[in-house]
Amino acid sequence: MDYKASAQSVLDAIGGKENIVSAAHCATRLRLVIADNGKVDKEKLENTDGAKGVFEASGQLQIIFGTGTVNKVFEEFTALAGIEGGTKEDVKKAAAAKQNIFLRLIKTLGDVFVPILPAIVASGLLMGLLEGLTKAIPGMAESNWYTFFHLMSSAALTFLPILIAVSSARAFGGNMFLGAVVGMIMIHPDLVNAWSGDAVNSAPVLFSIGSYSVRLVGYQGHVIPVILSVWVMSFVEKKLHKVVPEILDLFVVPLASVLAAGAVALLVVGPIFGQLETWVLQGASWLISVPFGIGGFFVGAAYAPTVVAGVHHMYNMIEAGFLSAGGANIWMPIATAANVAQGAAALAVALKTKNKKTKAMAVPAALSAYMGITEPAIFGVNVRYKKPFIAGIIGGAVGGLFAALTKVGASAYGVTGIFGILITVPNSEYGLGVWNIVNYLLTIVIASGAAFAVSFIWYKDEAPREKNKVYSPLKGTAISLSEVKDATFAEGVLGKGFAVIPAAGKVVAPFDGKITTLFETKHAVGITSDAGLEVLIHIGLNTVALEGKHFTALVNEGDTVKAGQTLITFDQKAIAEEGYDITTPVIITNSDDYADVEVLGQGKVGFGDAVLSVKEKEQEIATAEAQA
Amino acid sequence: MTFEYVIKDSLGIHARPAGLVVAEAKKYASAVTIEAKGKKADAKRIFAVMSLGVKCGDTVTVTCEGADAEAALGGMKAVIEGNL
Repeated sequence: MDYKASAQSVLDAIGGKENIVSAAHCATRLRLVIADNGKVDKEKLENTDGAKGVFEASGQLQIIFGTGTVNKVFEEFTALAGIEGGTKEDVKKAAAAKQNIFLRLIKTLGDVFVPILPAIVASGLLMGLLEGLTKAIPGMAESNWYTFFHLMSSAALTFLPILIAVSSARAFGGNMFLGAVVGMIMIHPDLVNAWSGDAVNSAPVLFSIGSYSVRLVGYQGHVIPVILSVWVMSFVEKKLHKVVPEILDLFVVPLASVLAAGAVALLVVGPIFGQLETWVLQGASWLISVPFGIGGFFVGAAYAPTVVAGVHHMYNMIEAGFLSAGGANIWMPIATAANVAQGAAALAVALKTKNKKTKAMAVPAALSAYMGITEPAIFGVNVRYKKPFIAGIIGGAVGGLFAALTKVGASAYGVTGIFGILITVPNSEYGLGVWNIVNYLLTIVIASGAAFAVSFIWYKDEAPREKNKVYSPLKGTAISLSEVKDATFAEGVLGKGFAVIPAAGKVVAPFDGKITTLFETKHAVGITSDAGLEVLIHIGLNTVALEGKHFTALVNEGDTVKAGQTLITFDQKAIAEEGYDITTPVIITNSDDYADVEVLGQGKVGFGDAVLSVKEKEQEIATAEAQA
Repeated sequence: MTFEYVIKDSLGIHARPAGLVVAEAKKYASAVTIEAKGKKADAKRIFAVMSLGVKCGDTVTVTCEGADAEAALGGMKAVIEGNL
């Protein structure tokens, strides 16, 4: 049945959206509270497609649609009537649509990874520790304890694509169980494990047309292909749910959506990533041979991004290549630089953040990166906050440069970070002396130090935005409104607020909202927040007389703006030279709608500092609570 | 009840006089609206008044409706004539 048509029919029959007081649904019935029952066309309601009965009870108009149908009709109904601000997913989508593709991708990575962090942070740490100890203690790999802990710690990372698939399905609004199936397909035991090095190149070919060939290779350690495939699945699933008749739904939709995702994974994503991986391998092999530390610098920088892209599986072939040629493995120390740099960047976040959740996650994530398991640090912390990731890249580059210049080498491969010490000890077979291990340790210190410093300086907690607060639109010195040399502002005729003597010629949005008023003379701007706060920012006193000179508006009336977005720039020096007082009042013009306005900004204020806070009138709080 | 007025202030209705107009309008229970160039604004809302973009030489029509409309009209007239 067409849920939208049914919803529209109900809406028409009850006299339009203006006649709705509230709408809800239970397991079987759409329950509406109607303003004027006289406007309800009961016959039309009863004839609505899917309606199995209509009656009035306990002040509600109830329309029976039945289990599994009522929720879908309700969804369409609320959308048509505009009762709620859309579903959560829609709101998220709208917010995301304004960002560019790169930022959206990062946001998606975050949305997918955050829920699965509890599963991978601790196991990453335990696994790193275990693998390291195994290298340090002879015979440990054969012990029963090793087997026991290995089983526990490696499960989450071995089957990571399944966790990612489930989480992606949830993020994209698809069925989580179908998402799990897609993840399972991608690491099915029938596919050659992506980590098996050369064996990947000799994996059985499924189809082959010219140079395009589909090989049966799994997606172990992959992130982006999994998210991509599940996105396809969710997309197909949601589309089909709308068109496939209910009776066939359970059979057709899961089958078609999983097949579509599987086909995309194997036929499109697989060959593309396979090719990319080959190129990355060739590029990396060439790059590492570039002398004067330049190669090491770039490998150190590029390492983490290739991990994010999921094209890093073949690197151990480079390492094996060095060793089989009789030389030391000079790749490992650079990889270590990149890994510990990401760990150090995450550690800086852990120390600087005031968010307890972030802190609790960043500490073990950083530690596990030092043991060579970087996923929690990279995906859980650094990529999400962007700047720490770049700090990690910088640290990796600097550390890589040092490692390459000092020609640090390793006598084996398969381990990085702290436990890499075990394979950088003096070894006459590969010509590794005492300095080798010293330089290895220095590589770790340099990479960590650089990444930590950059991340610590650069990373800032995103200020939590509260709907009853105004965040400073200006940078400068805050003064009280009564000190403003203009009676209209000083006496609070326009409303309560404060004023800033600007230190920079820029006005930014004090919250997410809409530009309500922008003077033609661009010296003042009125902005209304999503929560209904109205703020007037009046740059300078009497500056209306400048008629727009020295002011540049970057927004138009009616524009939707984000907190921190630049609204107006002005030449404060020129304005002052023309003899105007540059003091800029920031006024809540609808102060009367609130019980109180508190000024938080004092002394020096920076862009985005909380400067004003309003208190709702008690009656409104009570209403809001009753509604909640 | 209405009255018309031609703006004399060379800068039109900018923030400061708008604030005074709004402050005056808020004193009364009556609904007070200002109309100019075909747009109508609630005189008790500063953003609405400023959004009219009234310039020097424009004609504004002030309307007061309600119990104290007469007093409101007098008050509005005084504040507008005195400041604009």
